[in-house]
Amino acid sequence: MEIVRVTEAHELAQEDQRFCDATKAWFKIDFVPKMSRVLLTVPEFGRPYGRASRRAMTDGALTRAQKELIATMVSAINVCEY
Amino acid sequence: MAYVAGVTHALNAVADGLRLPPEFSPSPREPLLPLPELATASPEVKAVFDEIVGFYALDRPPAVFRWMARDVGFLQSYWAATRQAFTDGALDRRIKEILAFAASMTGKSDYGVDFHLREARRLGLTDQALTEAVEVIQLFNTVTKIADALRLQPDFDTGTSGQPGAQHPAASSTPPGAA
Repeated sequence: MEIVRVTEAHELAQEDQRFCDATKAWFKIDFVPKMSRVLLTVPEFGRPYGRASRRAMTDGALTRAQKELIATMVSAINVCEY
Repeated sequence: MAYVAGVTHALNAVADGLRLPPEFSPSPREPLLPLPELATASPEVKAVFDEIVGFYALDRPPAVFRWMARDVGFLQSYWAATRQAFTDGALDRRIKEILAFAASMTGKSDYGVDFHLREARRLGLTDQALTEAVEVIQLFNTVTKIADALRLQPDFDTGTSGQPGAQHPAASSTPPGAA
């Protein structure tokens, strides 16, 4: 169980709710991931982190799929179930 | 990918645990235990070493495999598994080496970062792709620690948590060759 209350998307600022909508479209999902909501609980952290994340995961010299594999590998080595 | 994770993590654990010096970068590390001499290797060991040297385009077998030559049966079988894990398949060998680099960096393995960075570069990893890979490694080392610190439960129902969650997409929905 989480040790903090995870902010609901509708509790976020309008600007951040728009970013959450973009996140749903990015991942082709119909909910806002907990991580997005946790990061945006402190917008001064979540906004730049979100921009860095979106920028990093876009197709470049490596494809988005390859980058998702790298992310999965990091999660596996860190034994992170989330 | 899981085989790459397992083999990389294991080889790094042995190499760093035994204080084997990195293959390509200068290091003051000295092996905790002596490595078998190459000159006295048996024909069976030499045959495996020849294959390893060819696979990685090296002029000598890596220390972590030299260590295994203490037991030829172990060397033969583990090398065969390693070769299979890193051979072109649904994922190509270059992305497998990038993944091994990510595993090594995340696991803080001096030996593994040195080895897999060289190998990924040899297989065509550009500086731009390396920068992008490190960006992703850094970002996901951030979020995995935040998730663990707050004990975030998965968004997707993996069937093991007993907690409600979104249905995880079927594994078959992502073409293996997409990477």
